[in-house]
Amino acid sequence: MVQTVEYDVVVVGSGPAGSTTARVAAERGLRVLLVDRRQELGSPIQCSGAVSDNALNEAGVRPNDEFVSTPIYGFVTYDTHGNATTMDYRLYRETPLGYVVDRRRFDRYLMTMAERAGVEVWLKTDAKGYTPHEDGTVDVHLNRFGFPQQVRTRVIVGADGLQSQVGKWGGLRTHIKLSELASCLQLVIDHVETDGLLEIVAGHEWAPGGYAWLFPKGHGYAEVGLGVIRTITDKDARWHLDHFMQNSFMAERLKNCRILEVQGGGVPLAAPLKKQVADNIILVGDAARHVNPITGGGIHTALRGGIIAGTFLGDFIPTGERPTAEALTCYHERWLDELGHAMWKLYEIKTDIFREQSIPRRDQRLYDTLASYFSPHSEFRKV
Amino acid sequence: MPKRPPVVFYVNWNACIKCGACIGVCPHEAGFTTPFDTIAVDTPCDIACMACEKICPVTAITSRLATEAEIAAMS
Ligand SMILES: Cc1cc2nc3c(=O)[nH]c(=O)nc-3n(C[C@H](O)[C@H](O)[C@H](O)COP(=O)(O)OP(=O)(O)OC[C@H]3O[C@@H](n4cnc5c(N)ncnc54)[C@H](O)[C@@H]3O)c2cc1C
Ligand code: SF4
Repeated sequence: MVQTVEYDVVVVGSGPAGSTTARVAAERGLRVLLVDRRQELGSPIQCSGAVSDNALNEAGVRPNDEFVSTPIYGFVTYDTHGNATTMDYRLYRETPLGYVVDRRRFDRYLMTMAERAGVEVWLKTDAKGYTPHEDGTVDVHLNRFGFPQQVRTRVIVGADGLQSQVGKWGGLRTHIKLSELASCLQLVIDHVETDGLLEIVAGHEWAPGGYAWLFPKGHGYAEVGLGVIRTITDKDARWHLDHFMQNSFMAERLKNCRILEVQGGGVPLAAPLKKQVADNIILVGDAARHVNPITGGGIHTALRGGIIAGTFLGDFIPTGERPTAEALTCYHERWLDELGHAMWKLYEIKTDIFREQSIPRRDQRLYDTLASYFSPHSEFRKV
Repeated sequence: MPKRPPVVFYVNWNACIKCGACIGVCPHEAGFTTPFDTIAVDTPCDIACMACEKICPVTAITSRLATEAEIAAMS
């Protein structure tokens, strides 16, 4: 039987973007439904989980044993040959700069915060489409535990990640070019020592179009992975990761490692969407390509985007105004002011680096950019 | 550019790590997906850009030309 119920907002996807949007909207008194098709949030993991303390703080999330795998105190950036720039913030401060989180626990924790703020959460619920009504509301078509269900709402928030279909429902141009989506693979490994620092390797030889990483994961584990751009290599990410682990300057360090988990995904190193709203629809997080195009980090931007979206909805819904694309553009403008303009600037820097045809010069520029990005003086530290 | 002939994708479920990258790069309208977070495998793709095959980090996707019957069933 198809039932109809009413909400102010239906959020599709309970990653960091969706659960934060939902929580903030509920804290502002809205009736919010948050749906996710998964049975266990964050799983299968498609993320390394590095997030700054500052990002958690801004989102009102205190670091908690439930989701923190290990604290992080700085960065090491390597060039192709292993020459390194180290920024160990333990020289300046005692508290961690950030954390590597377990996304299975982190996403559940954020969802629980939303649920405690009054959000109704439905797992195993796939959002399939919507039908608009004359009065400016829409019916969202859901499939919950395999059964069709409809909910009436005013605004749908597409927080459905990289695979976003919600934007496509609204006719938005969400397509990412192959040249701007990094194909990533990572392994959780045992028997490799790390020292509280995120280690990042630039260089076409190891990760054409992207970079390789070695992150501490706590409990004596680490994550090793990389992202590549497939328009500039014939080999897949798995081949490149093998090549890196066997032949790079890290080979000796990695040679006895044991593989505990295999994870992967796509990271948009693209510009944010030029249009992030349609009638009754706003997009946030990976769905709107809110990802840092230099580092590929998207947790911070998803949390920030969620706060901006939730706050906007808290202001907008009580006005009773019809949620047309034009009225919702105000969300996009706020996002640009608070975060988006800086992301566009990063996109231009990244595009400029990859316009460089000479591989040694491009490698050098990427290395310099990454090394300075993580310095205490970087203008982008808060993106 | 001449239009490429429609193809049908095959996903090797043993290799697939359910990462969703193939859907992220797919230029189709909404819904060209499977319930397992990959691009559709039960219907021909008439764009045939092959971006999904390329983005896959573990080369789980392969393809074959669609048959006349499959193409006829699309419209
Ligand atoms: C290999 C890899 C490593 C990364 N490492 C980092 C890192 O170290 N630090 C960092 O900051 N970022 C990292 N990222 C990026 C980061 O993972 C993403 O930017 C972030 O998860 C985006 O959050 P989100 O909430 O927008 O989307 P997601 O976390 O993708 O959440 C989307 C949710 O929507 C649900 N969903 C989708 N469609 C539907 C539907 N139709 N109905 C119901 N539910 C639906 C999904 O099940 C999912 O739970 C990495 C990415 C990859 C691929
Ligand atoms: S890109 Fe490959 S591994 Fe990822 S979901 Fe698609 S088929 Fe599976």
